[in-house]
Amino acid sequence: MSATGRLGLFAFACLLLIPIVWQLVLAMPPFGAHPLPYADLINAAAPAERHVTNMVSAVNFDYRGIDTLGEETMLVCAVTGATVLLRGQRGEQLEAHPGQVENRPIPHRSEAMLLVGRLAAPLTVLFGAYVALHGMTTPGGGFQGGVIIASGLLLLFLAEDYRGWRRLMRSWLFDGLEGLGVALYALGGLAALPLGLPFLTNILPYGQPRNVFSGGLMIIENLAVALAVCGGFVVLLIEFLEETRVMSDGEQE
Amino acid sequence: MTPLIGLLLLLEAVAGTAVALSRKPRRQVLAMSVNGQVLALLFMALQAPDVAFSEIVVGAAVLPLMFLVMLASCRMDRASSGQDET
Repeated sequence: MSATGRLGLFAFACLLLIPIVWQLVLAMPPFGAHPLPYADLINAAAPAERHVTNMVSAVNFDYRGIDTLGEETMLVCAVTGATVLLRGQRGEQLEAHPGQVENRPIPHRSEAMLLVGRLAAPLTVLFGAYVALHGMTTPGGGFQGGVIIASGLLLLFLAEDYRGWRRLMRSWLFDGLEGLGVALYALGGLAALPLGLPFLTNILPYGQPRNVFSGGLMIIENLAVALAVCGGFVVLLIEFLEETRVMSDGEQE
Repeated sequence: MTPLIGLLLLLEAVAGTAVALSRKPRRQVLAMSVNGQVLALLFMALQAPDVAFSEIVVGAAVLPLMFLVMLASCRMDRASSGQDET
Protein backbone atom coordinates (compact mmCIF):
# COMPACT_ATOMS: atom_id res chain seq x y z
CA MET A 1 0.00 0.00 0.00
CA SER A 2 1.31 3.44 -0.85
CA ALA A 3 2.08 6.12 1.75
CA THR A 4 -0.93 8.19 0.71
CA GLY A 5 -3.14 5.15 0.90
CA ARG A 6 -1.96 4.39 4.43
CA LEU A 7 -2.50 7.99 5.55
CA GLY A 8 -5.98 7.92 4.00
CA LEU A 9 -6.81 4.72 5.86
CA PHE A 10 -5.46 6.27 9.08
CA ALA A 11 -7.62 9.39 8.61
CA PHE A 12 -10.66 7.21 7.92
CA ALA A 13 -10.03 5.15 11.08
CA CYS A 14 -9.58 8.36 13.11
CA LEU A 15 -12.88 9.74 11.85
CA LEU A 16 -14.61 6.56 12.99
CA LEU A 17 -12.83 6.19 16.32
CA ILE A 18 -12.58 9.79 17.60
CA PRO A 19 -16.29 10.19 18.47
CA ILE A 20 -16.21 6.84 20.35
CA VAL A 21 -13.03 7.71 22.24
CA TRP A 22 -14.38 11.17 23.02
CA GLN A 23 -17.51 9.67 24.58
CA LEU A 24 -15.32 7.42 26.74
CA VAL A 25 -13.19 10.41 27.81
CA LEU A 26 -16.31 12.29 28.88
CA ALA A 27 -17.57 9.26 30.83
CA MET A 28 -14.30 8.80 32.76
CA PRO A 29 -14.22 9.51 36.51
CA PRO A 30 -12.49 12.80 37.43
CA PHE A 31 -8.69 12.89 37.82
CA GLY A 32 -7.57 11.35 41.11
CA ALA A 33 -10.92 9.71 41.93
CA HIS A 34 -10.78 6.19 43.37
CA PRO A 35 -14.32 4.86 43.50
CA LEU A 36 -13.40 1.38 44.78
CA PRO A 37 -13.30 0.97 48.58
CA TYR A 38 -10.28 -1.40 48.78
CA ALA A 39 -7.56 1.26 49.16
CA ASP A 40 -9.41 3.12 51.89
CA LEU A 41 -10.12 -0.11 53.77
CA ILE A 42 -6.45 -1.14 53.68
CA ASN A 43 -5.32 2.33 54.75
CA ALA A 44 -7.68 2.18 57.71
CA ALA A 45 -7.02 -1.42 58.76
CA ALA A 46 -3.37 -2.32 58.02
CA PRO A 47 -1.48 -0.01 60.44
CA ALA A 48 -3.41 -1.41 63.39
CA GLU A 49 -3.61 -5.01 62.14
CA ARG A 50 -0.04 -5.50 60.86
CA HIS A 51 1.99 -2.62 62.42
CA VAL A 52 3.34 -1.44 59.05
CA THR A 53 3.30 2.01 57.49
CA ASN A 54 3.77 1.03 53.81
CA MET A 55 0.36 -0.20 52.69
CA VAL A 56 1.67 -1.39 49.31
CA SER A 57 3.92 -3.88 51.10
CA ALA A 58 1.04 -4.93 53.35
CA VAL A 59 -1.03 -5.75 50.25
CA ASN A 60 1.84 -7.40 48.36
CA PHE A 61 3.26 -9.58 51.12
CA ASP A 62 0.32 -10.21 53.41
CA TYR A 63 -3.25 -9.49 52.27
CA ARG A 64 -2.56 -10.61 48.68
CA GLY A 65 0.63 -12.57 49.33
CA ILE A 66 -0.52 -15.45 47.12
CA ASP A 67 -0.53 -13.09 44.09
CA THR A 68 3.08 -12.16 44.78
CA LEU A 69 4.05 -15.83 44.89
CA GLY A 70 2.53 -16.17 41.42
CA GLU A 71 4.32 -13.06 40.16
CA GLU A 72 7.64 -14.24 41.52
CA THR A 73 7.23 -17.66 39.90
CA MET A 74 6.34 -15.90 36.66
CA LEU A 75 9.53 -13.83 36.82
CA VAL A 76 11.63 -16.95 37.41
CA CYS A 77 9.93 -18.75 34.52
CA ALA A 78 10.54 -15.78 32.21
CA VAL A 79 14.22 -15.57 33.20
CA THR A 80 14.61 -19.35 32.84
CA GLY A 81 13.01 -19.24 29.40
CA ALA A 82 15.28 -16.41 28.24
CA THR A 83 18.31 -18.28 29.63
CA VAL A 84 17.38 -21.52 27.86
CA LEU A 85 16.94 -19.64 24.58
CA LEU A 86 20.15 -17.59 24.83
CA ARG A 87 22.63 -19.89 26.50
CA GLY A 88 23.04 -22.38 23.66
CA GLN A 89 25.95 -24.67 24.37
CA ARG A 90 28.25 -22.31 26.18
CA GLY A 91 29.84 -23.12 29.48
CA GLU A 92 31.14 -20.71 32.06
CA GLN A 93 33.51 -18.86 29.80
CA LEU A 94 34.84 -16.16 32.03
CA GLU A 95 37.83 -15.39 29.82
CA ALA A 96 35.96 -14.75 26.58
CA HIS A 97 36.72 -11.51 24.77
CA PRO A 98 34.10 -8.93 23.96
CA GLY A 99 33.12 -8.95 20.31
CA GLN A 100 32.94 -5.93 18.11
CA VAL A 101 30.87 -4.63 15.26
CA GLU A 102 32.77 -4.62 11.99
CA ASN A 103 34.74 -1.41 11.34
CA ARG A 104 33.94 -0.02 14.76
CA PRO A 105 36.79 -0.53 17.22
CA ILE A 106 36.02 -0.90 20.92
CA PRO A 107 36.81 2.49 22.51
CA HIS A 108 39.48 2.52 25.18
CA ARG A 109 38.00 2.54 28.66
CA SER A 110 38.23 6.06 30.04
CA GLU A 111 39.44 6.75 33.57
CA ALA A 112 36.44 8.97 34.24
CA MET A 113 34.11 6.04 33.48
CA LEU A 114 36.17 3.78 35.72
CA LEU A 115 36.04 6.23 38.63
CA VAL A 116 32.34 7.07 38.28
CA GLY A 117 31.37 3.42 37.84
CA ARG A 118 33.40 2.19 40.80
CA LEU A 119 32.05 4.98 43.02
CA ALA A 120 28.43 4.79 41.87
CA ALA A 121 28.08 1.01 41.87
CA PRO A 122 28.58 0.38 45.62
CA LEU A 123 26.46 3.41 46.50
CA THR A 124 23.65 2.19 44.23
CA VAL A 125 23.84 -1.32 45.71
CA LEU A 126 23.74 0.19 49.20
CA PHE A 127 20.73 2.31 48.27
CA GLY A 128 19.02 -0.78 46.85
CA ALA A 129 19.63 -2.65 50.10
CA TYR A 130 18.21 0.33 52.00
CA VAL A 131 15.07 0.41 49.83
CA ALA A 132 14.60 -3.35 50.19
CA LEU A 133 15.12 -3.38 53.98
CA HIS A 134 12.76 -0.46 54.61
CA GLY A 135 9.95 -2.02 52.59
CA MET A 136 7.64 -2.10 55.62
CA THR A 137 8.10 1.55 56.58
CA THR A 138 8.78 3.64 53.46
CA PRO A 139 7.84 3.30 49.76
CA GLY A 140 9.81 0.59 48.03
CA GLY A 141 10.37 -2.99 49.06
CA GLY A 142 11.82 -6.22 47.76
CA PHE A 143 11.15 -5.76 44.06
CA GLN A 144 12.35 -2.16 43.91
CA GLY A 145 15.38 -2.88 46.08
CA GLY A 146 16.23 -5.94 43.99
CA VAL A 147 16.17 -4.11 40.67
CA ILE A 148 18.18 -1.19 42.11
CA ILE A 149 20.86 -3.63 43.35
CA ALA A 150 20.92 -5.29 39.91
CA SER A 151 21.32 -1.90 38.19
CA GLY A 152 24.13 -1.05 40.62
CA LEU A 153 25.91 -4.24 39.58
CA LEU A 154 25.32 -3.24 35.96
CA LEU A 155 27.16 0.04 36.64
CA LEU A 156 30.23 -2.13 37.25
CA PHE A 157 29.98 -3.16 33.59
CA LEU A 158 30.55 0.46 32.58
CA ALA A 159 33.59 0.64 34.87
CA GLU A 160 35.17 -2.76 34.30
CA ASP A 161 34.30 -3.59 30.68
CA TYR A 162 32.99 -6.95 29.58
CA ARG A 163 35.77 -9.22 30.80
CA GLY A 164 36.17 -7.71 34.23
CA TRP A 165 32.44 -7.62 34.76
CA ARG A 166 31.95 -11.19 33.62
CA ARG A 167 34.66 -12.35 36.01
CA LEU A 168 32.89 -10.57 38.89
CA MET A 169 29.39 -11.80 38.07
CA ARG A 170 29.36 -15.55 38.59
CA SER A 171 26.19 -17.14 37.21
CA TRP A 172 26.03 -19.78 39.93
CA LEU A 173 25.73 -17.11 42.64
CA PHE A 174 22.84 -15.30 40.98
CA ASP A 175 21.15 -18.52 39.82
CA GLY A 176 21.28 -19.56 43.46
CA LEU A 177 19.96 -16.24 44.77
CA GLU A 178 17.03 -16.40 42.38
CA GLY A 179 16.03 -19.94 43.29
CA LEU A 180 16.63 -19.32 46.98
CA GLY A 181 14.34 -16.29 46.89
CA VAL A 182 11.39 -18.18 45.43
CA ALA A 183 11.96 -21.15 47.74
CA LEU A 184 12.12 -18.85 50.77
CA TYR A 185 8.85 -17.18 49.79
CA ALA A 186 7.06 -20.51 49.39
CA LEU A 187 8.55 -21.92 52.62
CA GLY A 188 7.52 -18.77 54.50
CA GLY A 189 3.99 -19.42 53.35
CA LEU A 190 4.14 -23.12 54.21
CA ALA A 191 5.34 -22.41 57.76
CA ALA A 192 1.76 -21.78 58.88
CA LEU A 193 0.42 -25.15 57.67
CA PRO A 194 1.73 -27.34 60.55
CA LEU A 195 -0.11 -25.04 62.96
CA GLY A 196 -3.34 -25.76 61.15
CA LEU A 197 -3.51 -22.28 59.66
CA PRO A 198 -4.02 -21.35 55.97
CA PHE A 199 -1.09 -20.85 53.59
CA LEU A 200 0.77 -17.53 54.05
CA THR A 201 -0.81 -16.77 57.42
CA ASN A 202 1.25 -14.12 59.19
CA ILE A 203 2.33 -16.09 62.27
CA LEU A 204 5.36 -14.05 63.37
CA PRO A 205 5.18 -11.23 65.93
CA TYR A 206 4.32 -7.94 64.23
CA GLY A 207 6.85 -5.77 66.10
CA GLN A 208 6.75 -2.03 66.65
CA PRO A 209 5.17 0.24 64.01
CA ARG A 210 7.67 2.42 62.07
CA ASN A 211 10.43 -0.07 62.91
CA VAL A 212 12.48 -1.80 60.18
CA PHE A 213 11.54 -5.14 61.73
CA SER A 214 7.79 -4.69 61.70
CA GLY A 215 5.20 -6.73 59.83
CA GLY A 216 6.10 -10.25 60.99
CA LEU A 217 6.19 -12.73 58.09
CA MET A 218 6.26 -9.80 55.64
CA ILE A 219 9.94 -9.21 56.49
CA ILE A 220 10.83 -12.70 55.29
CA GLU A 221 8.65 -12.52 52.17
CA ASN A 222 10.11 -9.09 51.39
CA LEU A 223 13.65 -10.46 51.68
CA ALA A 224 12.70 -13.44 49.50
CA VAL A 225 11.39 -11.16 46.75
CA ALA A 226 14.52 -8.98 46.95
CA LEU A 227 16.78 -12.03 46.51
CA ALA A 228 14.73 -13.50 43.67
CA VAL A 229 14.42 -10.22 41.76
CA CYS A 230 18.09 -9.26 42.18
CA GLY A 231 19.23 -12.75 41.13
CA GLY A 232 16.77 -12.94 38.23
CA PHE A 233 17.73 -9.56 36.78
CA VAL A 234 21.48 -10.18 37.04
CA VAL A 235 21.09 -13.63 35.41
CA LEU A 236 19.18 -11.95 32.60
CA LEU A 237 21.87 -9.25 32.23
CA ILE A 238 24.63 -11.88 32.15
CA GLU A 239 22.79 -13.85 29.48
CA PHE A 240 22.22 -10.78 27.32
CA LEU A 241 25.74 -9.37 27.66
CA GLU A 242 27.17 -12.84 26.90
CA GLU A 243 25.64 -12.36 23.46
CA THR A 244 28.20 -9.66 22.74
CA ARG A 245 31.28 -11.84 23.29
CA VAL A 246 33.40 -13.48 20.66
CA MET A 247 32.29 -17.03 19.95
CA SER A 248 34.99 -19.59 20.63
CA ASP A 249 35.63 -22.65 18.48
CA GLY A 250 33.03 -25.35 18.63
CA GLU A 251 30.32 -23.15 20.08
CA GLN A 252 26.94 -22.87 18.43
CA GLU A 253 24.44 -20.10 18.58
CA MET B 1 -4.48 18.05 38.60
CA THR B 2 -1.56 20.33 39.37
CA PRO B 3 0.36 22.18 36.62
CA LEU B 4 3.36 19.89 37.28
CA ILE B 5 1.35 16.76 36.52
CA GLY B 6 -0.16 18.40 33.45
CA LEU B 7 3.29 19.34 32.19
CA LEU B 8 4.64 15.84 32.80
CA LEU B 9 1.65 14.26 31.04
CA LEU B 10 2.32 16.52 28.06
CA LEU B 11 6.04 15.61 28.13
CA GLU B 12 5.10 11.93 28.27
CA ALA B 13 2.89 12.34 25.20
CA VAL B 14 5.77 14.04 23.35
CA ALA B 15 8.28 11.37 24.47
CA GLY B 16 5.94 8.53 23.48
CA THR B 17 5.34 10.08 20.05
CA ALA B 18 9.10 10.46 19.62
CA VAL B 19 9.55 6.72 20.20
CA ALA B 20 6.93 5.91 17.57
CA LEU B 21 8.38 8.37 15.03
CA SER B 22 12.07 7.40 15.41
CA ARG B 23 13.15 5.43 12.38
CA LYS B 24 16.63 4.24 13.33
CA PRO B 25 16.56 1.40 15.90
CA ARG B 26 19.38 2.83 18.02
CA ARG B 27 17.74 6.24 18.19
CA GLN B 28 14.45 4.56 19.01
CA VAL B 29 16.04 2.72 21.94
CA LEU B 30 17.35 6.00 23.37
CA ALA B 31 13.96 7.65 22.83
CA MET B 32 12.40 4.74 24.72
CA SER B 33 14.82 5.28 27.59
CA VAL B 34 13.90 8.99 27.74
CA ASN B 35 10.25 7.96 27.65
CA GLY B 36 10.87 5.72 30.66
CA GLN B 37 12.57 8.53 32.57
CA VAL B 38 9.68 10.93 31.92
CA LEU B 39 7.28 8.21 33.03
CA ALA B 40 9.29 7.75 36.24
CA LEU B 41 9.09 11.51 36.94
CA LEU B 42 5.35 11.35 36.34
CA PHE B 43 4.96 8.49 38.82
CA MET B 44 7.01 10.50 41.31
CA ALA B 45 4.72 13.51 40.83
CA LEU B 46 1.70 11.24 41.32
CA GLN B 47 3.13 10.21 44.72
CA ALA B 48 4.06 6.67 43.70
CA PRO B 49 7.81 6.61 44.42
CA ASP B 50 7.90 2.80 44.55
CA VAL B 51 6.54 2.53 41.00
CA ALA B 52 9.00 5.26 39.94
CA PHE B 53 11.91 3.17 41.29
CA SER B 54 10.86 0.17 39.22
CA GLU B 55 10.21 2.27 36.12
CA ILE B 56 13.53 4.11 36.22
CA VAL B 57 15.51 0.88 36.54
CA VAL B 58 13.49 -1.42 34.29
CA GLY B 59 12.03 1.03 31.77
CA ALA B 60 14.85 3.55 31.49
CA ALA B 61 17.95 1.35 31.99
CA VAL B 62 17.60 -2.44 31.73
CA LEU B 63 15.11 -2.71 28.86
CA PRO B 64 16.95 -0.23 26.56
CA LEU B 65 20.21 -2.00 27.44
CA MET B 66 18.74 -5.32 26.32
CA PHE B 67 17.66 -3.78 23.02
CA LEU B 68 21.10 -2.22 22.52
CA VAL B 69 22.80 -5.55 23.26
CA MET B 70 20.54 -7.31 20.78
CA LEU B 71 21.23 -4.68 18.10
CA ALA B 72 24.98 -5.03 18.71
CA SER B 73 24.71 -8.82 18.65
CA CYS B 74 22.86 -8.70 15.32
CA ARG B 75 25.53 -6.49 13.78
CA MET B 76 28.52 -8.45 14.97
CA ASP B 77 30.18 -10.49 12.32
CA ARG B 78 29.70 -14.03 13.59
CA ALA B 79 31.16 -15.54 10.42
CA SER B 80 34.69 -14.55 11.47
CA SER B 81 34.61 -17.03 14.35
CA GLY B 82 34.20 -19.97 11.99
CA GLN B 83 30.42 -20.18 12.12
CA ASP B 84 28.22 -20.54 9.09
CA GLU B 85 25.01 -18.63 8.85
CA THR B 86 22.35 -21.18 9.57
